[in-house]
Amino acid sequence: MNAARIASRVAASLLGGYAFVWGFVTLGIALGLAVGMDYDDARTLCNLLAFLVFLSCFCWAFAHASLARVWGVLAGGGLLMTGAAWWLLGTTAL
Amino acid sequence: MFSSFRLSMAWLHTWFGLVLGYVLMVAFFFGALSVFDREIDRWAIPESRFEPQPMPSFDKVLKPIFQSITPEDEELEAARERVGGPLPEKLPLMNWSAYTTHRDPVLSMYAEFAVTNNPNDPDEHVHGHVTIDPRSGEVLPHDRLKIGSGFFYPLHFSLHLEWQSLGYWIVGLAALVMLAALVSGVVMHRKIFREFFTFRPAKHIRRSTLDLHNLTGVLALPFHFIFALSGLTIFAGIYLPVSETMLKPQAQAHAMEEARAKGLAFKPSGTPAPMASVDAMVLEAKRRWAARDMPGEVGFLQVHHVGDANGYVSIYRAGSDRVALVGQAVHFEASSGRVILEEPPPTPVASINNFLTGLHLQHFRHWLLRWFYVLGGLMGCVCIATGFLFFVEKRKAQHSRQGSNASRWVDALAVTTVTGMVLAALAILVANRLLPVDLPHRGDWEQRFFWGSWMLACGHAVWRSAPVARGRLAPAWREQCWLIAALAVAAVALNWATTGDHLLSTLARGYWPVAGMDLSLLVCAGLAVAAALRLRRAERGSAAPAAAPEAAARDKLVEAPRV
Repeated sequence: MNAARIASRVAASLLGGYAFVWGFVTLGIALGLAVGMDYDDARTLCNLLAFLVFLSCFCWAFAHASLARVWGVLAGGGLLMTGAAWWLLGTTAL
Repeated sequence: MFSSFRLSMAWLHTWFGLVLGYVLMVAFFFGALSVFDREIDRWAIPESRFEPQPMPSFDKVLKPIFQSITPEDEELEAARERVGGPLPEKLPLMNWSAYTTHRDPVLSMYAEFAVTNNPNDPDEHVHGHVTIDPRSGEVLPHDRLKIGSGFFYPLHFSLHLEWQSLGYWIVGLAALVMLAALVSGVVMHRKIFREFFTFRPAKHIRRSTLDLHNLTGVLALPFHFIFALSGLTIFAGIYLPVSETMLKPQAQAHAMEEARAKGLAFKPSGTPAPMASVDAMVLEAKRRWAARDMPGEVGFLQVHHVGDANGYVSIYRAGSDRVALVGQAVHFEASSGRVILEEPPPTPVASINNFLTGLHLQHFRHWLLRWFYVLGGLMGCVCIATGFLFFVEKRKAQHSRQGSNASRWVDALAVTTVTGMVLAALAILVANRLLPVDLPHRGDWEQRFFWGSWMLACGHAVWRSAPVARGRLAPAWREQCWLIAALAVAAVALNWATTGDHLLSTLARGYWPVAGMDLSLLVCAGLAVAAALRLRRAERGSAAPAAAPEAAARDKLVEAPRV
C-alpha cells in the first residue's frame, strides 16, 4: 500500500464517484424528460437516489481489487452518462 | 491493495472516520441542539420569553413593518463585491415573506430586493429581515443573536464557512463518509445482533470503548443513516447543481411553464397595482383547509411581486400535525384577493421527498419524539467520540514504544471536538448573559467568545495531552470536564441573576423553554462531574502496569481486525 496508490484510490472514490453521480443524475433527468416526466419530479427522484448511488460507488472504489477498473468505471461511466444526457437533451425539444 | 473485502471496509472505516469524524461531531452535536433551537433562542433572548403566537394580522400589523424593512448592510456589501461597483440608487422590492412555527413566540419577516446592475446575474438580489413581537408589532433589537436557530442550527450544516459554500461541502463529504462508515461498520462486525446488548463498562478502557461504539452505532443505525442521507438530499441543489448548469434551459423552461399553467406570474408586469386585504385571503385559505378536513394555522405567508399587477399571495399551512413541512398552499391574486390556485396534492415522488425533509427538520408537534431526536443525535456523538478513543487506545502503547506522537495528536483533536465543543457551546451562553445589553454588535461578540473559547480548548488539549505519547490518559479530558461543569452551572446562575427566571419560578410557571434549558445545563454539569471523577480514577490506574496479557489476547478475538 504505497502512498500514491492510496491517494489515487481516495481520489477515485471521491472525484470518480462524483463524476459517476453527476452522470447518473443528468442522464436520469434527461431520460425522465424524454418519457414525459415532470422536470421537478425527475430531478427530485434522481436526487433521492443520487447519494445512495454515491455511497455504493464510494464503497466499491475501496472494495474492488483493480484500481484501473475503479477509475474506468467511475470516471469513464460518469463521462459516458453525462455525454449521453447531453445528446438526449439536444434531441428533445424544450 | 487490500487482501479482503472486510479489510478494505475496515481501512475505509478507520481512516475516513478519523479524518471526517471531527466534522461529524460538529454536525451531530449542533444538529442535536438544533432540535431545540427555538427554546435556546428563548433562553438567549429574554425579551422573547412568552408563549408561541399565531401569525398576526397582515393588514394591521405586518404590512407597515414589511414596508419599513431595508436590505442588510452585509448583504449590500457582498452584492457590491459581486457587481464590482456601486449598486443602483433604488433597489426594487421583489417579495415579502413571514414564517412561524408552533414553537415561535416571535415572528421572522423577510424582504427581497432586486439588484439590477449585475451583468453576470440578472437574478441578483439582496435580503432584509426583522424579528417582531407579534402581540404588539414591536420590532426587536436587530443584533440579538438567536443562538439556537441563528447560530447552532446553521453551524451544523454550514460550519459558518460561507465562502463558496465551503462549509456545506465539507459537511456533505462528512455525511457521505457517515453513510460509508455505517455500511463498513456493519461489514466489519459480523456479530451485529449481539452488539445491541453488549456493554461491559467494567472491562478495561479499550474493550468498553469498543462496546459503546458498537452499541450506539447499531442501536441508532436507522437514525444515523436517515439523517446523513436526508441531510444530503436537502442540500442536493448545492451538491449537484444541475438545474443551474447543464440543465439550466430545461429547469427555467419548466419553471416558466409551471408558473403559466398555474396562473402564477413568473415575472412582474411593470404596472403598479394596489393590494387587497391579505387577512381576507388568510380566512379563505383557512376555510379551504377546514373544508379538506385539515384545519390549521398559517405557517408561511409570501407576497410575490409586491405592488405589481402580477403580484400574488401564497399562504401555506403550518405542518405541526404531520411530518412533511409547510404545504397545502393557496395562491391569491394580490390586487383582487381572487383565488388563483389551490395547490394540488404533491406527486408521489414529491411526497417521499417532503417526508424525508420533514423527518430531518421536524416541525411537527411531538415533544417525546423531539427528545428522541436529541438522544439519537447524542448517540451519534458518543459513537464518533468512542471511535476516536478506540483509535487512540488501540495504538498509543505501540506509538509510545516507537516514539511517535500520532496518538497524542488524535487524542488532542478528540478532546477539542468532544469536551472542547461543549465548552464553546457553554461559553457562548455565558457570554450571552454577561455581555452588556447595549453593546454594539453584541451578537458578533457572542460568536467571538464561542470561537475563541474553542480555540483555547484546542490549545489546552494539545498542551495537556502529552502523557498520551507515553501510553497514558490525557489529563485534558478531566480538566475540561471540570470546566464544563463550572460553565454549565454558571450559565444557569447567570440566567437567574440577569433575568430573575430561576428554575423554581420557570418550573412553577411551566415555562419549559427556559426551565428545560436550565435543567439540561444542570444535567450536563452532573455528567461532566461524574466523568471527571471517573477519569481521575482511570488516570491513576493507567499509571499502573497494563492489563494482564491473557485478558488482552482474549479481547483481541472479538475486536475488529487490526488495520
